[in-house]
Amino acid sequence: MKKFWALFFFFWPTVAIIVCVIAPSRGWWFPGAPMSRTGIQIDGLFYLILIIVTVTFVATQYVLGYALWRGATKDPGEKAFFSHGSHKLEIIWTIVPSFILVFISLSQLDVLAEIRVISKFPEKSTKVAEVKARQFEWRIRYPKIGTELTTEENPGDLYFVNELHVPTGKPVIINLRTQDVQHAFFSPQLRVKQDAVPGLVIPIWFDVLEVGTYDLVCAELCGWGHYKMKARIVAQSQSSVDKYLTQLTADQNADGTKSEAVKSGE
Amino acid sequence: MSLTPSLKLLTLAGLLSLVTAISGCTDSAFESSFVYSQGTLSLMREARDGTKENLGVKRLLDDRFGNPQHLKAWGEMPIDFGGALTTVVEIKELPRGRKVIKLTVEEGQTLPAKAANLKFVTGGFAGAGLHVDEWNSETGEATVTASESLTISASDICAVDGGTVLTAGRMLYMRHCSHCHGTSGDGNGPTARYMTPKPRDYRNGVFKFKSTNDMSKVSRNDLSRIVKYGIPGTYMPSFLLLKDEDHHAIIEYVRFLALRGEYERKLVAELSSDFSEKAYKSRINASEKKEDIQKELEEFLAGDLKQSAKTLGADLAEIWAAADTEEAAIVPSVAREPDTPVSRRRGRELFLSKTLNCADCHGIDGAGNGPQTIAFAKNPLKADELYNEPGLHDDWDNLNQPRNLQLGMYRGGRRPIDLFSRIYGGIKGSAMPSFKTTPHEDIWHIVNYVLSIPFETDPGATGIAPSVAPESLVAPAAVTVPAAN
Repeated sequence: MKKFWALFFFFWPTVAIIVCVIAPSRGWWFPGAPMSRTGIQIDGLFYLILIIVTVTFVATQYVLGYALWRGATKDPGEKAFFSHGSHKLEIIWTIVPSFILVFISLSQLDVLAEIRVISKFPEKSTKVAEVKARQFEWRIRYPKIGTELTTEENPGDLYFVNELHVPTGKPVIINLRTQDVQHAFFSPQLRVKQDAVPGLVIPIWFDVLEVGTYDLVCAELCGWGHYKMKARIVAQSQSSVDKYLTQLTADQNADGTKSEAVKSGE
Repeated sequence: MSLTPSLKLLTLAGLLSLVTAISGCTDSAFESSFVYSQGTLSLMREARDGTKENLGVKRLLDDRFGNPQHLKAWGEMPIDFGGALTTVVEIKELPRGRKVIKLTVEEGQTLPAKAANLKFVTGGFAGAGLHVDEWNSETGEATVTASESLTISASDICAVDGGTVLTAGRMLYMRHCSHCHGTSGDGNGPTARYMTPKPRDYRNGVFKFKSTNDMSKVSRNDLSRIVKYGIPGTYMPSFLLLKDEDHHAIIEYVRFLALRGEYERKLVAELSSDFSEKAYKSRINASEKKEDIQKELEEFLAGDLKQSAKTLGADLAEIWAAADTEEAAIVPSVAREPDTPVSRRRGRELFLSKTLNCADCHGIDGAGNGPQTIAFAKNPLKADELYNEPGLHDDWDNLNQPRNLQLGMYRGGRRPIDLFSRIYGGIKGSAMPSFKTTPHEDIWHIVNYVLSIPFETDPGATGIAPSVAPESLVAPAAVTVPAAN
């Protein structure tokens, strides 16, 4: 029975090693590869912390297992070694983890600043749209073609819901707001997550690396319909986005006369 | 080896979670029933439940629409129930109990690309179904396996995959819509009580935001826009991410519920004046004999109501089908007037004019605070009685104040044609009337003005002088407010 517990504590770090080895090839960590530049950096930080934590976990578990195994197999007459109250040991296990924690907090500062601090935003980024969350949908407002996005609505702004079109390969800024309660803008594939806070306009930036359709979900429990508050981010070339916005302008100005109806196929 | 207590607990928790995972998901979560309207429930028991010889309202309704577990596809209704109605041409026997049934559709229709089951409508096999093993959509040949000999003969009518759209619609409706709009479409689901404005009660067959003439029903395209894009300013969210076929199924199911509700209302309307509980009591008080009333009801159920049950369906089908035709659609005769300060100024003058009098409800600044919003309106359901709270009310008896046009929030869509339709066709069920006699150019001027209201620096500031003398514009009506009750 004593040996069982020793083996039990040897078993878990072994499982951890196996999982760590096979997880990347099975795609267990993430919802696909990161699809934005900051996403790659965030994944890097994740792996850094994962390695530190795994090494610590595996090492301490094996030490624990070894100690139990020694206890289980020692001579009944052998005297135990008493180490309680060792100042030297206590200093070591305080200083080593604090160095690790300081290292982690310092190493992520750059990435955090790049994502969150407005003065560190990429210089050549464009404000593409305002995303206004409300229970339980995402309302999108693009500026009129050829104008800048502002906090206030302007005549000719383009409106849509639950579908955000952004150009790929360049940094874009979204103005995030909420109409009612707190929501969170979360795109798992782009590794973008930001709370929308009532009364605030929060700019967020990202650059999408590849053309595709990505999820936009709410990541802050906002009410009974939270689970179905889902939209899609359509990332496409700048020319496709322009074409989309031109079509949206035409749709939004539809006056329903016959010629118009024939054109838009309604 | 003895397990420690904590390990035992862990095992127990593991087992429990397994049991809940297995028992948690059953179809019973969707079991539900349609409710009858207040109108039906206010009828005499015999009118409601029927007598020995004749059917009452409940049975007439259930026979045509069924209940959520067994929906009925009443062929007369203009609803895409799914699948195709076919006629049996011939049956060929194959070895080992396999049979080939050759089916054909009416000219102009096509056979479905896929088919999983056949359901017979007429003939010796009526009411029964068969699973299709193989389906050839070009020849219409369905291969089935049946050990006994089938009592199917040529010219029997058979539905191929019948009702698939309707049942799919029900599943989607129950998942996405019913918690607000209710299982029966009565706008009274569990979450409805927390909402202002209230979710739509479909059973009047009335929908507010439509692009059809004031007397027409809502079109499929209008319902589709609402489902896809939601209604800003209300709790109706967008369901854009559902598939097109899902949108279609939901819309057909909503039409099904609306038609069921409207059919029920019309049946009740035939009976309510003479055979409601209330009418019965007053007739007894007027010293009519109980037996006479019951005899009269029996005759009415056997004659008039039986007849109406048939014609009402045809009438409803006609008006609902007409909503999707070109004749019903609102098409402005002229293109939108260019959105200039002159046009907006003209729009504002019309907005304030005595003839159109938009300001009476929407206020002189378009803030939705016109005199009517503080007047006590008459309750149409209770003769000569005023509502308890001031303001305008809708057909569903809810307080429904005019839109604040300064917010730039347009429930029925923000396209110029949407606003044109709201003005030209009115908003059915609300106090917004139809202005179909107003020249289309004038409506466009108003649309231009209304779209500019959220961006005005000062109310009515268009930067140019008015073209109409101020005295010909409407003066805010004096409102007498009754003493608080």
